[in-house]
Amino acid sequence: MNDHTLAEQNHKQSKEQLSLLLTITMEVAAANDFSSALEVVLRRVCEKTGWVLGQAWVPSRDGTVLNCGSVWFCGNGELRDFRAVSEATHFKPGLGLPGRVWESKQPAWIEDVSRDPNFPRTAAARAIGLKTAVGIPILSGDKVIAVIEFFMRESRSKSEQLVKVIAAIAAQLNLVIERKRAEEELCRTNEILQSILSNMGDAVIVADKNGKFLFFNPVAERFFGTPGTQTSPNEWSHRFGLYLPDKVTPFPHDQLPLTRSIRGEEVDNVEIFVRSKKATKGLWVRVNGRPLKGPKGELLGGVIVCRDITEIKEEEFFRAGQSDVLEMIAADAPLPDVLTSLVLLMEGQAEGLRCSILLLNRDGKHVRHGAAPNLPQTYVKAVDGAPIGPRNGSCGTAMYTRRPVVVTDVMTDPLWADYRELAKICGLRACWSTPILSAQGDVLGSFAMYREQNRGPLPEETRLTQIATHIAGIAIERQRQQEILREREARISLAAESADLAFWILYPEQNTAWMSEKGRLIYGFDSNLPLTCDLILSRVHPDERAAVKAAYDRSCALSGTFESEHRLRLPYGKTRWVIMRGRCLKDEEGNLLETIGVTLDVSAQKQADLQLQHQREEMAHRNRVSLMGEMTASFAHELNQPLTAIANNASAARRFLQHGNIDPALLPQLLQDMVADSQRAGEVIRGIRSLVRKETSAHTLLNLNEVITDTVRLVSTDVLSRESVVTTELEPQLPQVSATLVQIQQVLLNLIMNALDAMEGLPPAERRIIIRTRSDKGDVAEISVRDFGTGLPKDQPDKVFDHFFSTKQKGMGMGLAIVRSIIEAHGGTIVGENAADRGARMIVRLPAVRGQTQTVAAA
Amino acid sequence: MSDPNQAGDNEVCVVDDDPSVLKSIHYLLASDGFKVRTFNKAEDFLTHASAHHVPVVVTDIWMDQVTGLEVLARLCALSPKTRVIVITAREDLAARATAMAIGPVAFFMKPFDDEKFIGAVRDALSRSEK
Repeated sequence: MNDHTLAEQNHKQSKEQLSLLLTITMEVAAANDFSSALEVVLRRVCEKTGWVLGQAWVPSRDGTVLNCGSVWFCGNGELRDFRAVSEATHFKPGLGLPGRVWESKQPAWIEDVSRDPNFPRTAAARAIGLKTAVGIPILSGDKVIAVIEFFMRESRSKSEQLVKVIAAIAAQLNLVIERKRAEEELCRTNEILQSILSNMGDAVIVADKNGKFLFFNPVAERFFGTPGTQTSPNEWSHRFGLYLPDKVTPFPHDQLPLTRSIRGEEVDNVEIFVRSKKATKGLWVRVNGRPLKGPKGELLGGVIVCRDITEIKEEEFFRAGQSDVLEMIAADAPLPDVLTSLVLLMEGQAEGLRCSILLLNRDGKHVRHGAAPNLPQTYVKAVDGAPIGPRNGSCGTAMYTRRPVVVTDVMTDPLWADYRELAKICGLRACWSTPILSAQGDVLGSFAMYREQNRGPLPEETRLTQIATHIAGIAIERQRQQEILREREARISLAAESADLAFWILYPEQNTAWMSEKGRLIYGFDSNLPLTCDLILSRVHPDERAAVKAAYDRSCALSGTFESEHRLRLPYGKTRWVIMRGRCLKDEEGNLLETIGVTLDVSAQKQADLQLQHQREEMAHRNRVSLMGEMTASFAHELNQPLTAIANNASAARRFLQHGNIDPALLPQLLQDMVADSQRAGEVIRGIRSLVRKETSAHTLLNLNEVITDTVRLVSTDVLSRESVVTTELEPQLPQVSATLVQIQQVLLNLIMNALDAMEGLPPAERRIIIRTRSDKGDVAEISVRDFGTGLPKDQPDKVFDHFFSTKQKGMGMGLAIVRSIIEAHGGTIVGENAADRGARMIVRLPAVRGQTQTVAAA
Repeated sequence: MSDPNQAGDNEVCVVDDDPSVLKSIHYLLASDGFKVRTFNKAEDFLTHASAHHVPVVVTDIWMDQVTGLEVLARLCALSPKTRVIVITAREDLAARATAMAIGPVAFFMKPFDDEKFIGAVRDALSRSEK
C-alpha cells in the first residue's frame, strides 16, 4: 500500500466511522431503555468495525465485582461457549480485561488474548480463536456504570482511532441512562405528588380558566362531594353549600377563592362555612388559592387548598362562650342566669349531652337547685332540697365526699337506689357529677353530666367538666361573697344609723362622693342630691375649711389616714361639731383612688363639754376674785405707794412755788417722778384687772422663775401682814413652759394663800413658805410649795383636790380643785404630800418646751 | 445731805423701803426747808441712830425684812427721846394700837395731807429735846 492509498484508505475509514457514530447516536436516542440502547451499541460496533463478539459487564450491587450483563452480540454461533464462560466469570477490580478497565476507568487493548498474562478466559478464547480484544468504560460522571468489551479473531495492533470511535459511541449510552433516570424521577415525583394529594388532610381542587374542574382530591370529595356534572362558578355556593362566617348568607360566587384564583388573584386564609349533604353538621374551612399559569405567564386556571378548621373554630366559639359567662359574672348578673348560660354552653359542646348545676345549701347538708335548663321539671323539683350523703345519687354523694362520682348506669348503681324511678321517667341513664369547690376548698355545689346511654365520660367530656366546675366555682363564690358583703353592709349601716355615724367615700379624681343616709342627715344634704367632694368640703365651717382641707391633703400624701375635729355649718346657720376619720386607698403605683371614712356627730357631747368648760372658767374666775379679796392688803399697799409718792411730789412742787425758792432743775424732776409713779399705779391696776378678767389669754412661753418672783412680790404685803416669810430657791436652768400666765399666777396664789392659812396657828417666827423650782432631765419644770403648817389629811392627802373639800372654816373648798384642773389642762400634774418633819408640800409638774431654757438669776 | 454732826439737831430722818415714796417725802420736807436724811433700809437707820442724835424720824411700819413695829421697839430702846412719826399704806387697827403704845407722836395713812404732815414734823422737831 503506498502512502496515497493509505491516506485515501484512512480518509475512507474516518468517513465510515463518522457515519457510524451518527447512525448509532440516532439509534441510541430512539432506544426506549438502556438495554435496547446497549444492544444497539454492541451490534453496531461489531457490524461496522469488524468485531465478532461484543458484551457488557455491570458492577454488582455491592460494587465489589463485575458481572456479565445479559445483553450481548456475536457474529456467529461458535462463540456461545466463550459467552458461557464469561457468564460464569466475575471480575474483581484490576482482574482481566473488564476488571482492568473498571479500575483504570480507561479503555484497554489486547493484541492477543491467548498470550496476555492477565486474561483468565485465555483457554476459552484460544479454543475458539479469539485474538484481539478491546474494553471501554461507560462513565456516568466519575463512576463506571458498565464496561463493554469486543473481540476479533485477527491479531490486530491497537488503533487509537478505533478506540476513540467506540468510546464516543459508548458515551451515547450515558445520555440514555441520564434521560432514563430523569424519566424515572419524573414518574416517581408524579407518584409522590399523587400520593400526597390523595393522602393529605387538606382538600385540593383545580379548575381551568373556564371554571371546569380538573381535579378533586379525595379530601375535597369528602368535604364537598364529587365535582359531578359540570356547573358554572355562579352555582358553586349553592351546589356545595358554601356560606359566609354568619353561617346563613350564601358565599358570593365572585368572592369564592377558586373564582378569584382563576381570575389571577392570590387568595389567603378565607374562612368558609360548609353545610351540605356531605357535611350536615357543617364544617369550617380555611382556603388558600393560587392562579395556575403557563410557561409564558398566561392564565390556565386556579387551584385552591382547603383546610378543615372546624375544631379550631369550635374551640374558639367555646372559649368565646366561656368569656361571655365570665363577663356575666363580672357584671354581677343574677346567679341562676350565669349558671344557666354555663350549662347551655357545655351542652352545646357535645351531641345529646345534658348538664345540671346544684348548689350546696348554707347549712352544708342539703342541695338547692342551680341550673338545669334541659332536664325535666319533675326531676329538678325532686332534687331541690334533697340531703347530701354517702349514697345520695351522683351529686349528693359528690358534694358529700368532695370527689367526682361517675355513675355509668343509674339503673344498677346503688348510689341511685332512691332516684332510680325518677331517672327512668326522665330518660337518664348515666350521670357523672363533680363537686364545685371554692378557692379555699369548700364545697359550693356540683356539676353533673347526664347521658341516655350507660357509659362513662370521654376525655373531652372530662375536660368540659373541669372547665364548667371552675367557672361555676367562680360564679358561686362571687355571689356568696357579695351576699356576705351585703349583709355586712347592712349590719354596718344599721350600726351607723343608731350611732349618729356617717359613712362616706370620696373619689377625689372624679370629684364625686357617696354618703350614707345618716351622713346626708348630719351634713344636711337631700337624699337624692348628687354629691361631690367640694360640696362636702363646703359644709365645713368657713373658719376651719382651709385647715381641714390642708390636713386632709397632707394625710393623704403622708400617712394615708386622716382625722379632724371641726365644725360644720349647715343651711340656715345651724352648726354641728363632728369628728371626721378616713383612710386613703391607693393603687400599686401609689395613686389615690378613694378616701373612705366616717363622720361622727359630737355636737351634743361638744355642747356639754363647752358648758362644762364654761362652768370651769366661771369657777376659776370666782376663785380669782376671791383670791383678790384675800390680797387686799397687798393691793392697797401696791397702789398706795405710787399714789403717796405722786401726792407728796405734787405737794412739794406747790410748796416750792409758794415759797418762791424752787431750784429750776427740780421742778421737771418732780413732774417726771409723778409721771413714772402714775404709770406704776396703772400697772398695778392692770395686773389686778387681768386677774379678775373672765377670759384668760392664750398660752405663751413662760419662765416660771419670773412668774414666781412677780407673784411673790404681789402678795408680799399680805405675807408681811400675816407675819410670814416666803423664800424662793429657783433653778437657774429651768426650762420654759407653754402656759397661760394668769392661770399659773392663780395656781401660785392659791398655793401661797393655802400655805399662809395652814400656818395661822404657828408663832410668827415659824411661819415660813419655801417655793422651789427644779428641772427633771429638761422634760419637766417642777414647782414645789412647802409650808410648815398642819399638813394634809394623813389618810387621804389627795382628797384636798376634790371639789368642796376644805380643812378651813371660811374656805369654799374650790381652790385646789381649780388648781388641779388648770394644771391638768396644761398637760401637767399636781400632787400633795406631807413633809417628813411637818407641813405640806405641793408639787406641780408641767411639761417643758424642749430646747427652751432661759437662765434667770434666782431672786 | 447736811453734815450729820452739825445739822443733827434739826435734821429729819425718813425710813421707807419704797424708793419713790422715800424720795417724794424728802422733796416734800425740803420744800419747807427741813434738813432731811433718808434711809432705804431700817437697819441702816438704826445704825445711824445708835451713833447720832435723831430728834425726829418718819418711818413706814410695813417693810421687807423688818417690820416698822420692830424698828420702833428697837429705836425706843436705843434713843428714847426720838420723836417718831409713822406712815403706813395699810389701815391696820391692831398695828396702829401697837405703834401708839410704843409711843409715836403722829400716825399717817398713805397718802396723807401735806399740811398736816409737815405740821406734825415741825411740831415734833420743835418739841424735841435739844
